[in-house]
Amino acid sequence: MQRADDTLSRAKDGDQTAFADLVREHQAMVFSMAHNFSRDRAAAEDVAQEVFIHLYQNLRSIESPAHLKFWLRRVTGHRCIDHARKQKMKTVSVDDAPEPVAPAVFRDSLMTEALRRIVATLPEKPRLVVTLRYQEDLDPTEIAELLEMPLNTVKSHLRRSLTILREKVTRSLGEIKV
Amino acid sequence: MNRFDEELKLALRREEPSPDFTDRVMARIAELQKQEKPREKTDWLRKVVEFFQPPRMKWAMAGAMAVVLLIAGFGVHRSRENERRRQAEIAEGERAKEQLMLAMRIASAKLNIAQKKVYETARHEGESK
Repeated sequence: MQRADDTLSRAKDGDQTAFADLVREHQAMVFSMAHNFSRDRAAAEDVAQEVFIHLYQNLRSIESPAHLKFWLRRVTGHRCIDHARKQKMKTVSVDDAPEPVAPAVFRDSLMTEALRRIVATLPEKPRLVVTLRYQEDLDPTEIAELLEMPLNTVKSHLRRSLTILREKVTRSLGEIKV
Repeated sequence: MNRFDEELKLALRREEPSPDFTDRVMARIAELQKQEKPREKTDWLRKVVEFFQPPRMKWAMAGAMAVVLLIAGFGVHRSRENERRRQAEIAEGERAKEQLMLAMRIASAKLNIAQKKVYETARHEGESK
C-alpha cells in the first residue's frame, strides 16, 4: 500500500516512470473491462489507451490508490458505453451465431466462449454491471456506487442478465446442464 | 456462488493487453506533451491575435458602441446647431435695436428742426405785428 502511494505521488509530481508503473499495474483491469464489454481486442485497447491518457491529464485529482482504482473503473465504464455508441460496435447476436456442437472434451472452453459472446450481446448497462460483478468481483452495493445507480436497479440488472445468460447458453450449447 | 457464477467468473477473468501496451500509452503521452509545449510558447501571441479577431460577441459589442457613438454625435451636433441659432437670433436683435435707435435719433433731430422752424415763424409773426 505504501509502495502504491509512493508510485502515485511520484507520478503526480511528473515522474513518467512512475506513471508507466501505474499503467502496468492497472492495464489488465481496464483492458479486460473494455474487452469483456466489446469482445473486440483492438477497440478494447483503444478504449484502455484513452482511459490512461485521461488519467494522465487528471492525475492531480486522484487522492489515493483506492481512489485511483475507483476512478479507473468508473471512467472505463463510461468510455466503454461512449465508444460503443460512437463506433456502433457490432455485437454478435447469439441468435445469429452458429450452434456449436459440444463434445465433452471441449465443453468447458465452449462454455467460456459462449458466455463471453452472450455477455457482449447484453444491453450496455446490464453488460457493464455483469462485467463489474464477475470480472472485478464487486458486490451490488459497490457497483451501484461506482455507476451512480440505485442498488435495486443493479440487482435487477444482475437478475435479468443471469436469466438471459442461462437461457441463451443452454440454447447455444444444447442440453448441457448449466 | 453456484457453478454458473464460477463459469461466468472464468469467462470474464482479467486478461493482459498486448505486451507493448504500456509503451504505446507512454508514446501517446509524449506526443501530447510535444503538442502542448509550442502551444504554451505562442499563448501570448494567440491572445493578441484573438484581441484583433473579435468573435461574434465582440462584434455585437462593437455594433452597440457604434450606435451609442452615433446617437451621442447626433446629440452634440444638435446642441451646437441650437447654440448657433440662438447666437444668430441675439445678433439679429442687436441689429434691430441699433436700427431702431438710429431711427429714433433721426426722428428726434427732425422734430428739433420742425420745432425750431415753428418757433422762428411765431417769432417773426409777432415782430411784424
